[in-house]
Amino acid sequence: MRFGDWPHGVTRFVMVFWAAIALALVPQAVSAQDAAEAPAAEAAPAEGAAAAGDAAPVAGGYEPLGPEWIKGQPTAGGWDVQDQFSPIGETASGLHFGLMWVMGIICIFVLGLLLWVVVRYRRGANPTPSKTTHNTFIEVVWTLVPVLILVGIAVPSISLLSDQYESPPKDAVTIKVTGYQWYWGYGYPDNGGFEVISNMLPEDEAKAKGLPALLAVDNRLVVPVDTPLRIQTTAADVIHSFAVPSLWFKIDAVPGRLNERLLTIEEPGIYYGQCSELCGARHGYMPIAVEALPRDQWEAWVRSQPGGTVGDEAEAAPAAPAADASAAEGEEAAAENAGGAETAAATN
Amino acid sequence: MPTAALERKNLRVGLLGFLAAAAMLGLGYAAVPLYQLFCQVTGFAGTTQRATEDDADLAARMAQSAGAKTVSIRFDASTSHDMPWLFRPEQVTETVQIGERDMAFFVARNNSTKPITGNATFNVEPEQTGQYFNKIQCFCFTEQTLQPGQEVRMPVLFYIDPAILDDPNAKDVEQITLSYTFHRKPEPAS
Amino acid sequence: MATTAEGFQAHTEDEHHDADHKPGFFARWFMSTNHKDIGTLYLIFAIFAGIIGGAISGVMRAELAEPGIQILTQAWPLGAGEAGFDAALHHWNVLITAHGLIMVFFMVMPAMIGGFGNWFVPLMIGAPDMAFPRMNNISFWLTAVGFVSLMISTIMPGAAAGAGAGTGWTVYAPLATYGHDGPAVDFAIFSLHLAGAGSILGATNFITTIFNMRAPGMTLHKMPLFVWSVLITAFLLLLALPVLAAAITMLLTDRNFGTTFFDPAGGGDPVLYQHLFWFFGHPEVYIMILPGFGMISQIVATFSRKPVFGYLGMAYAMVAIGVVGFVVWAHHMYTVGLDVNTKMYFTAATMVIAVPTGVKIFSWIATMWGGSLEFKSPMVWALGFIFLFTVGGVTGVYLANGGVDDVVHDTYFVVAHFHYVLSMGAVFSLFAGFYYWFPKMSGRMHSELLAHIHFWGFFIGVNVIFFPQHFLGWQGMPRRYPDYTAGYAYWNEISSIGYAIMAVSMLVFFANLAYAFIAGKRAAPNYWGEGATTLEWTLSSPPPYHQFETLPVIEESQGYHDHRPVAATPATS
Repeated sequence: MRFGDWPHGVTRFVMVFWAAIALALVPQAVSAQDAAEAPAAEAAPAEGAAAAGDAAPVAGGYEPLGPEWIKGQPTAGGWDVQDQFSPIGETASGLHFGLMWVMGIICIFVLGLLLWVVVRYRRGANPTPSKTTHNTFIEVVWTLVPVLILVGIAVPSISLLSDQYESPPKDAVTIKVTGYQWYWGYGYPDNGGFEVISNMLPEDEAKAKGLPALLAVDNRLVVPVDTPLRIQTTAADVIHSFAVPSLWFKIDAVPGRLNERLLTIEEPGIYYGQCSELCGARHGYMPIAVEALPRDQWEAWVRSQPGGTVGDEAEAAPAAPAADASAAEGEEAAAENAGGAETAAATN
Repeated sequence: MPTAALERKNLRVGLLGFLAAAAMLGLGYAAVPLYQLFCQVTGFAGTTQRATEDDADLAARMAQSAGAKTVSIRFDASTSHDMPWLFRPEQVTETVQIGERDMAFFVARNNSTKPITGNATFNVEPEQTGQYFNKIQCFCFTEQTLQPGQEVRMPVLFYIDPAILDDPNAKDVEQITLSYTFHRKPEPAS
Repeated sequence: MATTAEGFQAHTEDEHHDADHKPGFFARWFMSTNHKDIGTLYLIFAIFAGIIGGAISGVMRAELAEPGIQILTQAWPLGAGEAGFDAALHHWNVLITAHGLIMVFFMVMPAMIGGFGNWFVPLMIGAPDMAFPRMNNISFWLTAVGFVSLMISTIMPGAAAGAGAGTGWTVYAPLATYGHDGPAVDFAIFSLHLAGAGSILGATNFITTIFNMRAPGMTLHKMPLFVWSVLITAFLLLLALPVLAAAITMLLTDRNFGTTFFDPAGGGDPVLYQHLFWFFGHPEVYIMILPGFGMISQIVATFSRKPVFGYLGMAYAMVAIGVVGFVVWAHHMYTVGLDVNTKMYFTAATMVIAVPTGVKIFSWIATMWGGSLEFKSPMVWALGFIFLFTVGGVTGVYLANGGVDDVVHDTYFVVAHFHYVLSMGAVFSLFAGFYYWFPKMSGRMHSELLAHIHFWGFFIGVNVIFFPQHFLGWQGMPRRYPDYTAGYAYWNEISSIGYAIMAVSMLVFFANLAYAFIAGKRAAPNYWGEGATTLEWTLSSPPPYHQFETLPVIEESQGYHDHRPVAATPATS
């Protein structure tokens, strides 16, 4: 049985219970409960919007997604991981929920034992202490039971790791993420090799656009949805870390080496993340904004970039009117996958 | 009050303690070459292997007997922040036969007005393919100096060890990325 | 070599019949060779450093109370004057760096090992003093000078944006090399060198003392668990600190002498620095908590009036934690780009540590089981420790999972985790030990009432600070951020309120100290009653300046628990 199969409602109840006991603070526990309900309520309109967006994609042109598309960002008072929009995030959050159970139960068990000894063996209740110092059986039990629990955790944990390290397929869309002090560069080597420079939007501009301050950026990392992405990270100066909590994705950008992970985003939307390795003064001011678009819209965006190409169109002279051409080529490219770029490059 | 015998005993244990500390200090320094050696031998952290022409011939023969499988290779080029070079692969990806030698080219141009010496660090991704990625010749084996405005094509001659097909961790890899980063050689101590 | 110190020693030896003869003020406190005086110096030093480190965290919590930069742009002790925006952000990094280094190297370690270790290891094993009394003095002053060096570093030129080292306590290359031109980082590194050298000397001293100077009959398996814990800690120090010294020395030469150990420009590897740092850094966290384990064992047994349950299991669980602690370091580096097999190994190895830790938790509970519990101040702190350390322990198991860690790595979840094991684990055990032994050290009883108020304030305060930080981490808030988006405001505000509660409780602690020195009752030799059975309770409070001039003898019939003399008279003068 996978941990994730346990109903989340019960998990949430346990968490709130644990929070309440550990803190012994009623107002806080109440607010945690409020927070627990909030994400569920918010998810509904977002999904509705997603469906609408899929049904009627903007033909040809590229429009940046508006604030209603934000899916990956922290919620005020939220006390759990952000909702997950990648396959790995869904697997991992299953293990995460299971671990919350284990953690909660162990803490409550230990707390229960402590309260029991405090009440039962206080001096008033038990004036003459026993002199027991050994009990081989119980010592073996409390060594072996944790071992079994840990083995129970290790099995799904190791399988999660091997899922995470699945290597990206040949035709995955490659994004080269470069960390700079203090902004990100997103290169598209398969699509003409252009690089998008992404800086944080100043707070007032972000607010004017209805975007969250300190997370909004001028140029987002635009990627196709439901497509394997080969995210490669490196850094030009010091170590940075490319992280998006709602995609369960974090990989360091280390100068002088390249790291690679597979990422697939399941829904169109905007997913925010932040640099997660101390990189100097403006460490907190180089956010990450991933914008996942349906394939054809993404291709339209690629073409709008300087030197941006999709598939093997670099060879095929663009003749048809822009709107038609991009729509037609979009489908073609989607069918053939971006692997076309590779053969084109290889025959050059 | 400590007796002379106790003082001698204390001195012995104390010295042993310092020896242990000194040994660990030495180990700390030794970690630098040892880590390098470990990476080179095991391919840890995506470190590539160095091979001779003879190794390559042997690999080619083995590959033929194993049947010709191909793998896609991606070439990646970066420069560090203080490096005024333009550095890119001539081709972004290439399909190679496992076991067969292949030559790829990178292009570098010095955009500054000074001669600049650079050296390249490198690794492959996914990391577990490092032990199978053999370089016979590479511009990264030595330093490269470019005059102002000079542009060079730099070759790397490599092959993929057919043993990769026997490694359950690596045999399903469809594309290997070979990545280089050029760094400006530090100026001689001023 | 007729130094003053030797003159002083000769002097005391002349009059060694008077065990309580003390030298003059300067010789006693600046050239001290007495383990109890050095322990006192360490404790005073740790309290002083703790006030500074705690004040820094107050500035941090004030800044984080709401989104935006409010406090850091103000005129302000570290780097004077109105600060520009980048300077303000750099200040933040200097603060987090200083807070981390101070709390680890100049608060917890000096208090645990230098303070309680120096005071009570010789007393508990029945030794007249440490094996190398003068080296003991050197250890202390190296640590003190190291602290001065760290303080100097905060006003030296650091990065382009301002003074001080803003590298984080981990001093990762290349941020510590490329990003910081000024000498601030050199001073910070030098401070670690000094503190590290002091700790290595101290570790050798403890090992020698414990191996060679136990009272007759005090076998290793009869030693109190606190002594065991210090012994294991000393071995960890001896084996881990030199690796840190090597790593930061290479960092220093990379910065100043053109070497490229960690600089890719010369073929170095910044990831290797992380391997070396965490090869030290992981044992370091056990260095900070093991003596706490030892103290909790003593206290729980004392106030249960029952011997420690599963003594050998407790001792060897600590050995196991120490040994396994050396082979799990890369779980601090899960996102650096490790390959899958490495990550699986470190996931599995890290989880193994939960087993001996669980043995300890359950053994403490079993010690209390069937006991006759008295809830004096040390005991309530110990109970708080056991529960909060469990919370920190289970989040550690959570973090051990490499795949799960990806979402919380370098977030506030990690901050919450290590504050649960350190700010609550280590610090709770420090307060437990302090209330346990303060009357023994000072000769004055503290107020039990104030100690209990202090406990409840601190307990509630730190939980309100750190429990919500789990939620922040799960929501994705990265560590080491001075500013955050509106979504993180809710829990941050609560966390800052918790700091205020904690700070008020610390005032109660200092009030209690003042009360004890001004109006505290004189402490009896064994003020905790019949549960306190180790050798320090056979001595007066405070113990004579030179104790055990006639060594106590542990009889064959005596177990690990009760070291009180079998015959009527205590073995002191």
